[in-house]
Amino acid sequence: MIDETRQSEQERGLVFNIQKFSLHDGSGIRTLVFLKGCPLACQWCSNPEGQDVSAELIYTRAQCIGLSECDACLGVCHAGAICGGGDGKVDIDRRACDACGNCAAVCPSKALEMSGEFMSVDDVIRETEEDETFYARSGGGLSVSGGEPLAQARFVKRLLAAARSRGLNTAIETSGLCSWKSLEEVVPHTDQIFYDIKCADPERHLRTTGVSNQRIVENFTRLRHDFPAVPVVVRTPVIPGVNDSEHEIQAIVDIVNEAGGASAYELLPYHGFGEPKYRKLGLAYPLEHARPPSEAVMAALTKIAAQVVLESTGV
Amino acid sequence: MLQTVDVKKTMSPVGVLSPHEQRIEHGEPVGLIGDAALGKRARIHEMLKGFREQPVHLNVARARLLTESMKVSEGQPTVLRWGKALAHILAHHPIHIEGDELVVGSAGPPGRYAVVYSELVTPGRFYTQPDSLVPSESDEQLVVTEEDVAILKDEVLPYWEKNQYHGALMNGLPDDTRRLMERFFVVTATAAGRSMLAWAHDFDKVLRRGLRSIKEEAERKLSALDPFDAAAQVEMRPFFEAVVLVCDAMVGFAHRHAELARTTAADEPRAERRKELLEIAEICERVPEHPARTLHEAVQCQWFVQLVSRFEQAIGGGVSNGRIDQYLYPYYRKDIDEGRITDSDALVLLESLWIAMARSVDVYAKPGQPSLTDGFAHWEATTIGGLKPDGRDATNELSYLILRSKREFPLNYPDLSARVHARSPEAFLRAICETIKEGTGFPKLFFDDEIIPSFLMKGAEVAEANDYCVTGCTEVKMLNRDAIATGCAWVNMGAILEMALSDGCMKSYGEDRVGISTGDARAFTSFADLWNAFRAQAEDVMRHTFIQQYAADTLKSRHIAAPMFSMLHDLCMTEGKDIHAGPIDGALYLGFFDIMGFGTVIDSLAAMKKLVFEEGRLSMDELLAALDADFEGHEAVRQLCLNAPKYGNNDPYADSIGRDIEECFARLAQGHTTAFGGELDVRYVSITSHVPLGLVVAATPDGRRSGEPLSESVSPSQGVDVKGPTATLNSIASTKCAQYKERAARLLNMKLSPASVAGEEGTKKLGAMIRAVCDMKMWHIQFNIVNRETLIAAQKDPEKYRNLLVRVAGYSAYFVDLTPALQNEIIRRTEHCF
Repeated sequence: MIDETRQSEQERGLVFNIQKFSLHDGSGIRTLVFLKGCPLACQWCSNPEGQDVSAELIYTRAQCIGLSECDACLGVCHAGAICGGGDGKVDIDRRACDACGNCAAVCPSKALEMSGEFMSVDDVIRETEEDETFYARSGGGLSVSGGEPLAQARFVKRLLAAARSRGLNTAIETSGLCSWKSLEEVVPHTDQIFYDIKCADPERHLRTTGVSNQRIVENFTRLRHDFPAVPVVVRTPVIPGVNDSEHEIQAIVDIVNEAGGASAYELLPYHGFGEPKYRKLGLAYPLEHARPPSEAVMAALTKIAAQVVLESTGV
Repeated sequence: MLQTVDVKKTMSPVGVLSPHEQRIEHGEPVGLIGDAALGKRARIHEMLKGFREQPVHLNVARARLLTESMKVSEGQPTVLRWGKALAHILAHHPIHIEGDELVVGSAGPPGRYAVVYSELVTPGRFYTQPDSLVPSESDEQLVVTEEDVAILKDEVLPYWEKNQYHGALMNGLPDDTRRLMERFFVVTATAAGRSMLAWAHDFDKVLRRGLRSIKEEAERKLSALDPFDAAAQVEMRPFFEAVVLVCDAMVGFAHRHAELARTTAADEPRAERRKELLEIAEICERVPEHPARTLHEAVQCQWFVQLVSRFEQAIGGGVSNGRIDQYLYPYYRKDIDEGRITDSDALVLLESLWIAMARSVDVYAKPGQPSLTDGFAHWEATTIGGLKPDGRDATNELSYLILRSKREFPLNYPDLSARVHARSPEAFLRAICETIKEGTGFPKLFFDDEIIPSFLMKGAEVAEANDYCVTGCTEVKMLNRDAIATGCAWVNMGAILEMALSDGCMKSYGEDRVGISTGDARAFTSFADLWNAFRAQAEDVMRHTFIQQYAADTLKSRHIAAPMFSMLHDLCMTEGKDIHAGPIDGALYLGFFDIMGFGTVIDSLAAMKKLVFEEGRLSMDELLAALDADFEGHEAVRQLCLNAPKYGNNDPYADSIGRDIEECFARLAQGHTTAFGGELDVRYVSITSHVPLGLVVAATPDGRRSGEPLSESVSPSQGVDVKGPTATLNSIASTKCAQYKERAARLLNMKLSPASVAGEEGTKKLGAMIRAVCDMKMWHIQFNIVNRETLIAAQKDPEKYRNLLVRVAGYSAYFVDLTPALQNEIIRRTEHCF
């Protein structure tokens, strides 16, 4: 019995969002499946709820209707992590909270919600196929994102294989930080790869994302070499003060070209939209004073980005 | 599953404005857009200057002439009286030629006007109510002069108060049905508010044959009537006599314009305009009496027919234009082939027609008053694309030219409808997407793959079903087969729900029971008990709805006839019968009733099913106490309700309840036959009525507060569809009971952010989405491509945004012309942006 449970848990993926009607992540109209857990901790991360490898409590304070109306969460918290705040709304003691989810289950306004749910391949396929009419007409399909999807490589492999066998187009969005074995396992089931190269300078990469880019660059080079037929779109989020200089983008272009180019290179200007999510997780936002790059900066960088050797790999 | 929006899409442009929004931001004046204003179309550009600032004049001349004629024809057959009245109007109504226009004729004074339909004395038309009929202040947009008031009060209204259809209908109802009708907005009868439902005329017939041919046909039929056949002499003879009268009167009306054009030409100093006026004179001498030969003749002829139709009767939402790219095509093609015109000339003619329509405004309530059709609503549905009768694609160069005009011509008239089918050309889809992306709400889309089979199920032939056209907002008609003419009722499902929860009573109407007794809801022990109460209240409301429709059908022909309309309908000419007189042999009477508040009621039932009967998180007592208090002091209950399963998210829990509701009403429809042997189908078209209908409904278990709008048409409740447009579309598809033929239009509004459809990629994906919607066999969809911020800014600064067009429901209107309640409702509709 115990073994069976363990087995099935391993076969499930920890999903924190399934987003339909995604228009900017590959061909056609797509469904994006976000897997939880990421080895990077980028300062600008706009999906911080995707970093941790376990389910987490999300608290949207604005939605709390206050203790004068409702105190359901207080009664069910066994960790003593919830108490009344000065303005009548509740506060969460993150150190005490063990993310059991009891409070989220009783919160009437969904001010308290859990992020992260174990789903089987069948569950995800079923939900993805709800939109198959739209894939058929647009050439869309399933994209797996995160977090870092390759942190759950076995699940992703089985998910993409199942999707392919059912006629769905498949894509992954990856940071590239994983064992080569993980990547090697997943790529044969993937129609298109979105690969982030965030920064060329290993030291700066370490400082702003918590990890070195060495493995990321190696994996990219090997990916282009071993799987030349799989189209890879390289993306760089342009973060002021981190990589918004011409020589930094030039260095990334050089890495890409040395590996044999890409099917496209996209620069994504920084935005601060992820910021409210940090508050909901009880975290501080590392880039509090950052501003999106100016149009002039983006125009200059885009010119350099155009030097990437484009392969027509039949996207 | 927690819904968090992924915000990694840094590359999706934030703050992208639609072209329409950009023009408003730059404060560009109204006129043709860009280079379209140059060259030949400069004429149209000039006519558009200041167009929106023109006040609307009430036109009482038609009412005065109608009344004069009706006074002297009392006691004669109804159809003959209306024929004589129309002839009297056409002979004596003032005429004029305005500026440098090429298409002449107007149903009012120069500029914008509103025809007074004095025969439609209803509380909804302010000018038929002596108390609300006062001259307008100088700054009002609607001009009502002291003379207008005097004419209406002294000459017109006293006659119609004694001879009106509305009063006869109310008096003709059984007591209990009348009492229900008198409680506003539970069942709203629309039969007496206009003379007939939205319709297009068979313009093609007049263009090809000319009125002389139709008159000769009537004369032949008159002389063929058996003099010893009493029925024929009493029933049919007055009809054909009226047709002859009307044909002569219409030709006479055109000749009056020819004469005016000649006298105007004599005084015209500019040689070029003089030449034009003489050409206009020749055209008015030619059409509508004889077949049209050129595009100019065809457009002028079409306009004469719809102009006379406006004199004849108030058609719901204005006169629809039918399949304009089909019936005008031969004339366009011939003119192009023979080098007579270019595309610019064709656009000038079409846009002249658009301006002529835009001048005619439909006025019920005074501006700013709450109305069932906000924003000076009229929608001359104009159909392009679709299938030919033989099943091949019908798209042609005119279809594209009309889409181009819609992108470049700034007014919201006409209301463009594109028919889309599985094999619509990709180029046509692209042109549609480019037009939708402009952001003015045009064109609305109709899907042949759903509509044609629905006609076939009802007994139509393939060729006539393939040839349907759009009329009004989402109605569709087979012009020579369909014969339903009486306005159909609006059924407030929010009220039905409230009655099911309060033993037949409604808070708005006090202690007296509005519906039937279905018991104290606190005693319901299962969802089945609740559902049975809902169904019982629905049955009772539908019983009254059917009774009022029967009375409306049968009483109407004593008051209203439409010989011009009828002479263009094959079956009326065959049977010698007016369209209103029914039953007409061989006709299909495809009526409907609109059920309002679909999303509100699904969500309410789903919340009760889950929270009260399955999870036990709420007792019925707690819920009813919260509803009674309008949720004041019961915020936790309201939050539970707001977070229960919602229709519009492809959640089978909610959607299956929607299917049950459709089935419930479809089965009630199945059991009923109308006075003329037709059917009444389930339909979801609220136009703007979900706002006033919501006013009478108390707080509902979906978390909606008392008096707030109901959900709109077949759309989910405002703002609850959080899983994106594909989930919304899937939900709508899941609530359809395809096994019943007693179904009609489902009106769907969808708001997309301009960013989500930006660029070539956006065009492609919008096109793919429309294809998918066609595959899903939807009836209709229309898009608002607008930023929420723009709408909020427009509320704060109406002067700057006075030209901002938004899709309302079945038509586009100027946002600033809408009441604040409706503006807020549109803002609250979910904007899908990813």
